[in-house]
Amino acid sequence: MKDVFIIDAQQISVQNPLSHDWMEHPIAYHEPYRRAIDPDFKQYFTPNEARRYGKILKRALLTARKVMENTAINNPDAIITGTGLGCVENTELFLEALTFEGEEMLKPTHFMQSTHNTISSLIAIDAKCHGYNSTYAHKGISFECALLDAFMQLSQGEITTALVGGHDEMTPKYFSMLEKTGYLGHAKDGFSGETAVSMMLSSEKNMKAMCRIKHVEMAYGEEVNGVEGVDIDAVMIGVNGATENDAVYAHIGQNLFPEKPLLHYKHVFGESYTASGLGLYAVATCLQQQRIPAHLFVNQNQKELQGVKNILFYNQFENKNHSLILLSSCGE
Amino acid sequence: MEELILKLKKEIIEVLNLEDVKPEEIDANAPLFVDGLGLDSIDALELIVLMEKNYGIKLKDASQGKEIFKSVAVMAEYIQANRTK
Repeated sequence: MKDVFIIDAQQISVQNPLSHDWMEHPIAYHEPYRRAIDPDFKQYFTPNEARRYGKILKRALLTARKVMENTAINNPDAIITGTGLGCVENTELFLEALTFEGEEMLKPTHFMQSTHNTISSLIAIDAKCHGYNSTYAHKGISFECALLDAFMQLSQGEITTALVGGHDEMTPKYFSMLEKTGYLGHAKDGFSGETAVSMMLSSEKNMKAMCRIKHVEMAYGEEVNGVEGVDIDAVMIGVNGATENDAVYAHIGQNLFPEKPLLHYKHVFGESYTASGLGLYAVATCLQQQRIPAHLFVNQNQKELQGVKNILFYNQFENKNHSLILLSSCGE
Repeated sequence: MEELILKLKKEIIEVLNLEDVKPEEIDANAPLFVDGLGLDSIDALELIVLMEKNYGIKLKDASQGKEIFKSVAVMAEYIQANRTK
């Protein structure tokens, strides 16, 4: 089995885009719904690209281009994307036109961008990558599925590099629907955000590597086993202020990780189907800098922790799908 | 005709999301494709939808598009002669 490393990761979210500023100065939000802070796309895209691509495509493409540029890996062996809703903004436009104007006057641009796999395929076209290209659209575990796919192929030596992404946009209409179902908008102190995160994985250690992925495990309908024999510094969990969701983490946390400091990230990045991509990015950034800032601790009295080596990332979706990912510092 | 040309320019800007282009910057006689606005085949499909939706013109033969979409002025002339709404 080969080692797997995260070489670089970039994000566009409700925090400052393409930046690790949130480690020092996270922007705080107190409303239930926030859209991402977009960079000035005109700096990065030709006029034709800028006018045609929807927000999620611009975000995905830009984060992907950045990690490829930073790692000098311009032609990854695999491009794997996790997305819960796909290009939902264009899907809405397409379906609205279909509903109100019939099937004969549908706009081709909305149609082309209304599928989930547009993201992965656009990145491949842009980077001229003809290798493995896949999209996982499994609601709250989409990103983990993409990561597991890449991890297995890399550790078994099938591929050497993989660009893995987690991308979701949230439109006002979709937020309103999720609010009615109770999935979003009812958390006491949480909020709905948007996710665009790309990371370059490689089985070859690079001087710039952020961290090593030691273990990826997913389980359905049963709790995960946990990780033994590793001195874990902290556990990152997906509490978001919603009672039902947080109760699962509280229960499992007590059983699986007693006495380990708990970290959270959704108070910084918000909730979305692929928010776990940002959670993993946050863990990777902590390991790269070998410190955990105080604001990431669930226990608000905890101070910044230095010299961190191992962080476990635990995510669950509706208490049915569970995943454990163990990341370790490269400085060990 | 001038009024129709201006209206058409505004509609093209909106439907093709030409954020930084103003109607007065579009030369009514300049080619729409390759040179001029630099539109492509996907834009041609958008223009076909625009003509049907806004003017009730349904292009039966796609090859007609090459002539009709030569410039905004040519497009306006075709619309003037064939519109049903």
